[in-house]
Amino acid sequence: MVSKTEETQLNSLENQVDNGGGGVWEYLCLVRKLKVRRSEKVLKHGLSILNDPKKRSALGPEEWTLYEQVAIAAMDCQCLDVAKDCIKILQKKFPESKRVGRLEGMLLEAKGSWAEAEKAYSSLLEDNPLDQVIQKRRVAMAKAQGNISGAIEWLNKYLEIFMADHDAWRELAEIYVSLQMYKQAAFCYEELILSQPTAPLYHLAYADVLYTLGGLENLQTAKKYYASTIDLTGGKNTRALLGICLCTSAIAQLSKGRNKEDKESPELQSLAATALEKDYKQRASDKLGLLTSALRSLKI
Amino acid sequence: MVAELKYEISQNAYIKLVLQALKHKTTAVNGVLLGRVNPQNENVVEIIDAVPLFHSNLALLPPLEIALIMVEEHYGSQGLGIVGYFHANERFDDAELGIVAKNIGDHICRYFPQAALLLLDNKKLEALSKGKDQSPVMQLYIRDASKNWKLVGPDGGSRLVIKEPAANVVLLDFISSEKWEDVADFDDHLDDIKKDWLNPDLFK
Repeated sequence: MVSKTEETQLNSLENQVDNGGGGVWEYLCLVRKLKVRRSEKVLKHGLSILNDPKKRSALGPEEWTLYEQVAIAAMDCQCLDVAKDCIKILQKKFPESKRVGRLEGMLLEAKGSWAEAEKAYSSLLEDNPLDQVIQKRRVAMAKAQGNISGAIEWLNKYLEIFMADHDAWRELAEIYVSLQMYKQAAFCYEELILSQPTAPLYHLAYADVLYTLGGLENLQTAKKYYASTIDLTGGKNTRALLGICLCTSAIAQLSKGRNKEDKESPELQSLAATALEKDYKQRASDKLGLLTSALRSLKI
Repeated sequence: MVAELKYEISQNAYIKLVLQALKHKTTAVNGVLLGRVNPQNENVVEIIDAVPLFHSNLALLPPLEIALIMVEEHYGSQGLGIVGYFHANERFDDAELGIVAKNIGDHICRYFPQAALLLLDNKKLEALSKGKDQSPVMQLYIRDASKNWKLVGPDGGSRLVIKEPAANVVLLDFISSEKWEDVADFDDHLDDIKKDWLNPDLFK
């Protein structure tokens, strides 16, 4: 999960590198650290170092890490020859290495040789059954073949053992959402919020899922989580502010004719609306009119 | 005899949607089609513009609801309405029209019964650079009388046409210059409201 500051930093470095301003190694390290997927750039700029013997030797022992990074990026871009070359070099340097064995498995995946990849991974797992990366490759393979229910099964099995893997919970949640299995997605976000209560992304995602599920109770809870997102982001999250307005409107519609004592205070919605209008006025004034009429239509 | 409906998509709308799919190669993306029934020929639906919507969590309601409100408001003042939906699947070999696309399509049909569902044809897109095909790299789905989404087959392929015949040439040009970097969708806007989902400068 990447914060906004980290993403800005990454993008400006990327720009710099793209325009020949140097900082390639720094960029590649940052991509590795943040675990983002920028395969085309990594391939291009990584190769520019690897193909230059002077630049390569300047890396020292980090050279091998770069080979691994470029191999994976190459596979993502379907440049299998490049990937094969990188893996060969790593095989020579580190014979019998499990880490290189993983790359060999991934190459089989990239070629679409699923059965062989599964064999390779199974044998690696025999010696090290708790290898998280390989266990997750199984999930990835199921997903790549369109076997979504298989992916869910593997992922659930994985999470029984490695329940602290936030990325895995997020992946599972997103798969559930794509299948419109919102209750299950909600459960995943609940786990994430429990383990990382100050991460606004999970509050926001949870609120979105609850709103989508619908029903008065879910809407009221969603509103609370949009509010906590706003709290955790210093009031700057557009999605959460809009979420408050959507919830208030939906709750009002569902509560029509109910006990007046249950009526929600309108302050939260007007505060959110004001914050939104202020932000649009400052940074997206051409859309202010659209925002205002959208908010108006939500105040039914 | 009831004439079959034809859908004519403008070059700009067409290219915008394909570019959005190319910008987000590793996820599903979607968008809405804006247009109207041709005032001179009620058997033709003109898809005049398109708004790329999301590249993550397409099946969550709150961003979709906000997007539809704002899109309808903007285009309504120009006399245009939502006439269809565009979807590109996450995986290259997935050529199925998924449940999310169908549900959103059903919703749009409530307001425009002849709504079109366009699904990106990945194989056709890949083959584009190799041939001189002028037909769109999209599959057309329409709802039949029992409200099921049906693919308008290759023999009915002429029911979806691009208004400007050289559109694929222009598209290929944009692809080689990586123009997709300049496309902003509604997701981008929600993350940073300075990003404009109308993409006013994209084709300048």
